[in-house]
Amino acid sequence: MPPPAPPPPLIDADSAEFWQATREGRIALCRCTRCGAWLARPLERCQHCAAPTVFEPVAGTGAIYSYIVVHHPAVPAFAHLVPYVIALVEFDEGPRLPGILLGEGGTGVAIGQRVRAELTAFPGAAERAVTYRRVEPPATGLPAARP
Amino acid sequence: MAVREAAVAGIGRTAFSKSSGRTPLAMAAEAARAALDDAGLRPSEVDGIIDFSTGDSASGPDVARAIGAVDLGLAMDLQGGGNLAVTVVGQAFAAVQAGTCDVVVVFRSLNGRSGNRYGRGDRPALAMRGDMQFAALNGYVIPPMWIAMFAQRHKHVYGTTDEDFGQIALTFRHHAAANPHAMLRQPVSMDDYLSARWICEPFRLYDCCLETDGAVALVVTSLDRARDLRHAPVRMAGFGEAHTHGGSWTNFPDLSEMYSAYAAKRLWASTGLRPADIDVACLYDCFTGTVMATFADFGFCPKGQTGAFFAEGRASYGGDVVVNPHGGLLSEGYLHGLNHHFEAVCQLRGDAGERQVPAARHALVTAGAGPAGGALIYAVDQ
Repeated sequence: MPPPAPPPPLIDADSAEFWQATREGRIALCRCTRCGAWLARPLERCQHCAAPTVFEPVAGTGAIYSYIVVHHPAVPAFAHLVPYVIALVEFDEGPRLPGILLGEGGTGVAIGQRVRAELTAFPGAAERAVTYRRVEPPATGLPAARP
Repeated sequence: MAVREAAVAGIGRTAFSKSSGRTPLAMAAEAARAALDDAGLRPSEVDGIIDFSTGDSASGPDVARAIGAVDLGLAMDLQGGGNLAVTVVGQAFAAVQAGTCDVVVVFRSLNGRSGNRYGRGDRPALAMRGDMQFAALNGYVIPPMWIAMFAQRHKHVYGTTDEDFGQIALTFRHHAAANPHAMLRQPVSMDDYLSARWICEPFRLYDCCLETDGAVALVVTSLDRARDLRHAPVRMAGFGEAHTHGGSWTNFPDLSEMYSAYAAKRLWASTGLRPADIDVACLYDCFTGTVMATFADFGFCPKGQTGAFFAEGRASYGGDVVVNPHGGLLSEGYLHGLNHHFEAVCQLRGDAGERQVPAARHALVTAGAGPAGGALIYAVDQ
């Protein structure tokens, strides 16, 4: 039996283009057309200078700002993965997004490690999730958790 | 018109349990009646009601009607979590000080264990809007995950150890042993702490508070009136809040600190006090990691030194300040922080029995974790 679906995001007019981009296989974040600031939370207008915003593709690379190792299967969609890692990744453009660090059980994961973002369709999910893989895989042959 | 002073005149609560078998409305009504009875006021005298919830409680007017208060000049149902546990009391004081109300009931009621469990990732009340839409698909949706993310960053920045977190859990459990109302009173050793199962690394079992069913209520009235009632009034020295960075758990600038790094300046400016003046501190402790950050942010010790402060016994009887004499949310129960106000008032009245902090004159209550929260200082009436 497949795991239950993760909770669906409630998409709004400010965030719709982010989700449209993921459906096309791209990660695009909100950016100000005047001052160039990258906005972690999509907004119709820039929080710094009130100019209009657009969604621009990001490089998809970043570093682990912090992370957790989930052992207690409190979220049914991912109960079969425990223990698994959720990393809070700071994209090279600035904003942070949380996501599962695929193929990791916690050992060898550290703040500061480089990661690459990818889009993952978890079973039954309404949209594709932003997930991560370490750029340099762990030295020890840990079993890879499969989505 | 001169601003009149306000005071807490009554406190009330239900039993704390894992399965109340009752509605939040019934429990809120019991706690409100108990608080009014404690003060010696009649329910019909209530003209203001303030509460907070995440859609898991009863409305203020509904609770007021249930106790026979049908004509309110103020009713505020605030939507949010433990970050509002100071807001509700601060606004009750403000309403009485301004003359908007004479008798305000503040309550929080929830079936936190048998109903809507905050620790579950499949509760129906979860709404993945705003920032949460970017966390939903990875299941990054429950508080133990968010606060553990802060705690991991704290470890990275300050070299905080597992034992540092453990010292906080052990201290509160030790205090809870003297509290008959506490849900968890069995002592926990450091070995117990370290060998308990992981919940969400860096948090183990004893780093996490206990989801609880129950209700707590306070009654706030004018200081003059409170002086004629059953108990010594408990005054407020002031309060300060901080609702920062749009409430973002992921893009809060520095995850080794919390809202408290911003609220501290307002708290100490509004009260004219400093950490050394505080005898009792009821620190919001949904998780040990919350205390780790906020205790230092409010200036009780240098950042990164909370674990050592607790290990040296400075957060307990005979130390600098007694932190969570009731056992906190970790051991007394998770009444979303309103039980901290109950304990602070008990301590300043001198009614805390075996766990009484000697000569307590100032009690701090903090509320919230992560990007938003506040703190309030109670004072004795002399």
